[in-house]
Amino acid sequence: MVEILFLVPFLTGVLSFFLPSKPGRSMLVLTGAIHFVLTLVLWIIRPGALMPAYFMVTPEGLLSLSVISLLFLLISIYTTAYIESAHIRNEKVFIGSMLLFLSTMTMVTLSDHIMVMWIAIESTTLASAPLIYTSGSPKSLETTWKYVFICSVGIAMALLGSVLISLAVDAGGENVPMSFSALSAQAPRLDSMWLKAGFIFILVGYGTKMGLAPMHTWLPDAHSEAPSPVSALLSGVLLNCAYLGIFKTHKIMVSAGLADFSGTLLMAFGIVSILAAATFILKQGEYKRLLAYSSIENMGIIAFGTGLGGIGVYGAILCLIHHSLIKSSLFLTSGNILLGYGNRLIVQTGNLAGQMPKTFVAFFAGFVGISGFPPFGIFMGELLIIVGAFRTGHTIWAGIFIASLCIIVAGFVNQVMRISFDDAPKTVNFKEKARLIWPQFTLLATSVVLSFWIPDVVYLEIVNAVVSVGGGF
Amino acid sequence: MTQLVDIILSLSLLSIIFSFGSSRLQGLIKALAFQGIVVSIVPFFMGHELSGGDIIFSLTTLLIRGIGIPLYLYSAIEKIAVHRELEPIIGYHGSILIGLLMVVAAMFVSRKINVPSASDSLLLLPTAMVLLSGGMFLMMARRKAITMVLGYMTMENGIYLVGTTFSVRAHHIVEFGVLLDVLAGVMIMAVILQNMKQGAEDPDMALNKISKE
Repeated sequence: MVEILFLVPFLTGVLSFFLPSKPGRSMLVLTGAIHFVLTLVLWIIRPGALMPAYFMVTPEGLLSLSVISLLFLLISIYTTAYIESAHIRNEKVFIGSMLLFLSTMTMVTLSDHIMVMWIAIESTTLASAPLIYTSGSPKSLETTWKYVFICSVGIAMALLGSVLISLAVDAGGENVPMSFSALSAQAPRLDSMWLKAGFIFILVGYGTKMGLAPMHTWLPDAHSEAPSPVSALLSGVLLNCAYLGIFKTHKIMVSAGLADFSGTLLMAFGIVSILAAATFILKQGEYKRLLAYSSIENMGIIAFGTGLGGIGVYGAILCLIHHSLIKSSLFLTSGNILLGYGNRLIVQTGNLAGQMPKTFVAFFAGFVGISGFPPFGIFMGELLIIVGAFRTGHTIWAGIFIASLCIIVAGFVNQVMRISFDDAPKTVNFKEKARLIWPQFTLLATSVVLSFWIPDVVYLEIVNAVVSVGGGF
Repeated sequence: MTQLVDIILSLSLLSIIFSFGSSRLQGLIKALAFQGIVVSIVPFFMGHELSGGDIIFSLTTLLIRGIGIPLYLYSAIEKIAVHRELEPIIGYHGSILIGLLMVVAAMFVSRKINVPSASDSLLLLPTAMVLLSGGMFLMMARRKAITMVLGYMTMENGIYLVGTTFSVRAHHIVEFGVLLDVLAGVMIMAVILQNMKQGAEDPDMALNKISKE
């Protein structure tokens, strides 16, 4: 009965469209809490699915689900305080869409059928579009249009990819259900040409949604224009959902003995994304766009690590988890900065350390974490990916990877220093409420704790996920 | 039967070339409606066994793709009083030439691809490929948001054709393809309609000529 995990937010989401503001906000947090408890229960007892042909709890799915659940709970608490200070045009629609968004993302993590996965990812676009169009300005309309249109085209590519994979089954003369688990099990008997074609389209399709360059153009705009809690959700969990689609298809390719093909493509898209981020991050004048380009970089790192295989996959999964935790905390903090300074431009900010000390601590710690410094987990993830690249003889790739990371950190440091310590153009009167601060601290603390101690049961699931795509030590 | 399919498909190929050369949005929408009808009825002539559910589904698709969405788009352009695409990124003559090259390339490539369970139809695969690439071309070569939606729908028609005619087990995929059309299409159009309302208040609103940075 794992379906309950996406049915609960679906029902409360629909209900929220009709609730007044205050009960709506309570419903948001309550649903987040119920979802979190249900996810914890899933770790202890593994109930089967009502529709086992379509849904299944997989290691990678469970890991993503847990990240989504924790993030959503904390973001929902932050949102209740954020809404009080920021202008949200239609609060009912906003809260309802957030819950529907949670429902669709949960569905992505639990889906085992190639088409259910596709529908769920498509639904995430539809549920999140109203979240971006909240200010009602022409700019936010254009951004929403760009987001829906580019992602829809991408998702259409993924649909074609799914059709081509079904052709691989037909061409192989097999009668295999279209579930990821069955396809992976029977992969050696599927037609390799159609599998390759299908993978390319799925990579381009879901890669668009994941923010891989050169299909990333919607991402900086959407992350910058959306309210900060939504940016945190988009960056922290939506990108992971799209990655899950690619990961599961890559699993089929690995089982079919085509890991070289899909791995090389993943590495190429990964490196291009990191390079694109390194190019654009240097001249960013807006702090939210800066974070958005950092998301593109991290998605590139994750794709690169997954493509490498071996120890790189373990590094990629670590980066996936820690990027979600740290980046969502950074986006929430950027919400405080926006509320304080009332402007997205970096030049309009300054002296964050003096004016908003708690926000500064969260912001600076987040920056340290996202740049890949210890004690945060991305450090270990990136290190393992670099080791993996050298071990597998990809020295040139590793060189480009390291050089790009250095450029990105340099660009980042420059802007973070300006925001934190330069003279401020004006004095900020912003009350740093507890609900606007401690969700970020909790996220950062979780990342630090997970860097030093991973519970055995979680570690086992990570290893299972890693092994399923040909990774390992 | 195969000849009949090829005749219908050749008309749909012509409609793509026509849509490449048309500056009038009404003409584009008519071409799209025609393609929608063609891709919906082709499965009936493929010789696959069709259950009652399949037939109802194909007819629903016909109603949505061939009639519903084009009518909706038609009323949308009437509302915003946009009738022509005046500043295409790639000119109309150039577009027609590219369309012809697409058809030739698709014919050439499709002979080299071995599609399982394909019928004897010569034009099925080339038409699907041209619809796909043609849709993408329209999205890239035109500036107006509404023309991009038309390009998107054309591309969707290509995917539908691949799904319904080539794959034995892709029925679900095709069904959900329609879902994509209805949901995403309507969503996109809702955003545009919203824009139209704003556009009426603010004549400088630039979304109709969406920026491509």
